[in-house]
Amino acid sequence: MSTLFWGGGANAQKLPMPQNLPQNLQIHGFASQSWLKSSDNNVFGKSSSDSGSFDFRELGLNASMRPLTNLQFSVQGLSRWAGKGSTGNIRLDYGFVDYTYYTGENGQLGIRLGRMKNPLGFYNDTRDVPFTRPSILLPQSIYFDRTRKLAIAADGMHLYGEYRSDLGDISFQGGVVRPLVRGTEAEAAVFGRLFSGHLTPEISYVSRVNYELDGGRIRFAVSATQLNMGFSPGTGDVLKDGSVRFTPLVFSAQYNAERWSLTAEYALRHLEYKNFGPALPNMDFTGESYYFQGAYRITPEWEGIVRYDVLYTDGSDPHGTKWAAARAGRQAYNRFAKDITVGLRWSITPEFMLRAEYHRVNGTGWLSTLDNPVSSDLAQHWNLFSILGSYRF
Amino acid sequence: MTINRNSGRYLFLVCLLLSIFAPRIASATEPYEVIANPSVAEKTLSKTSLRAIFGMRLHTWSDGTAIRVFVMADDAPLHAAFSKEKLNVFPYQLRSAWDRLVFSGTGQAPDTVASPEEMLARVAGTPGAIGYLTKSKTDGRVNVLQIK
Repeated sequence: MSTLFWGGGANAQKLPMPQNLPQNLQIHGFASQSWLKSSDNNVFGKSSSDSGSFDFRELGLNASMRPLTNLQFSVQGLSRWAGKGSTGNIRLDYGFVDYTYYTGENGQLGIRLGRMKNPLGFYNDTRDVPFTRPSILLPQSIYFDRTRKLAIAADGMHLYGEYRSDLGDISFQGGVVRPLVRGTEAEAAVFGRLFSGHLTPEISYVSRVNYELDGGRIRFAVSATQLNMGFSPGTGDVLKDGSVRFTPLVFSAQYNAERWSLTAEYALRHLEYKNFGPALPNMDFTGESYYFQGAYRITPEWEGIVRYDVLYTDGSDPHGTKWAAARAGRQAYNRFAKDITVGLRWSITPEFMLRAEYHRVNGTGWLSTLDNPVSSDLAQHWNLFSILGSYRF
Repeated sequence: MTINRNSGRYLFLVCLLLSIFAPRIASATEPYEVIANPSVAEKTLSKTSLRAIFGMRLHTWSDGTAIRVFVMADDAPLHAAFSKEKLNVFPYQLRSAWDRLVFSGTGQAPDTVASPEEMLARVAGTPGAIGYLTKSKTDGRVNVLQIK
């Protein structure tokens, strides 16, 4: 890779457009800081404390370069603080080489190798960039913050293609990958607690098909993913070397007018736990999530949003009654969450943005067990207020 | 009296129509063109291709040379007029599409220029460049592209 970079520079006069070489390098980044205050239950730090939580920060820096018209190198580093689940470690968010095998007036076909963002719904690819989100917190029913590390990116190979016509543009992205399962966040998301053993990555599959009509006035997407993980028990662990399979299927739709945008996504999340032994009996259930969201641009600088977001951890037991009946001391509202959100964005300059939003939530289904270790402390009905400032370049 | 009253009504109607169409008239007052560097072989482009180029999803001209895209700021009236009339999209849609490419690593953003003079200089001086400019500012250093 470095040979290509620097070798190309040294032989600049042999390339067709040597003066474009340094200009093709683009560097972008963002930094954000939030404050969260909740009536009960913690979101990203001790948000239910009197002073709220400042423990939600996102920093990112990326570079991309096109040394040839059909070759791009892209890399992004990210540092994220979000309660106990993310503690600011700098990590490689993505880093890959993109080769366009075919390009023409009507479309393209190419391959990416390295660490890519998982194509999942409308927002997963850029979920940590506040400017690309509709709100401070993405709809948690689909973009679970507690399982983000599993869903966000993976190492492997993607194929992508696009076909453009007067009837709209259709594009796809699909690949074979190894999920990122290291760290306490992934383990807590899978098991609800930590063990001395660790999760192991298995061959997994990601895919998404997009359809855009009239330059994106109407957008549809279908994403299908199968994430496979194993478990390697450590000393003293009660779990055996079982496996976990997570198979989310997401349907997305959006309508964009000059002043307003309507967005809806629906997800079926099939989850299987196998062969962990008596401490964790086999499980096989399908969760259901959806949200409706309306955004209105009062001016280009001011935007208001309203959203209704619903999560059922198990679609066949939506209100958790069967689940709670089988577990002494556990509450049914741990198994769902219904969130009504209103929010406001103010773009003070193209680079600097402020956001404020209010959530009224019934249920605790998507709360992080790391930030809320004692399940009996959870309250069913709770409120969350948050503000965010973000800078980009 | 009747004449005065009628002309008053007429004036009121004209004002009403003007207030409805004022934004459209304001954005269309200055005619503009899609311009390209003289190295670009294309003389005409389809709307689909123009959209793909400004959406940063079509990277090469038909002869294989690199396309370099220049735009004005999101809030520039000419950018809004060009986006709506030539691409049939709104500036916020372009910005979200570019952000999705830039922050997932799957593409790059266009180069933003600060003034019509800079647009002319950059498109005239960059092989493979494409942009847009008001007719009065355009000169022989750039080619005008016809959009089918």
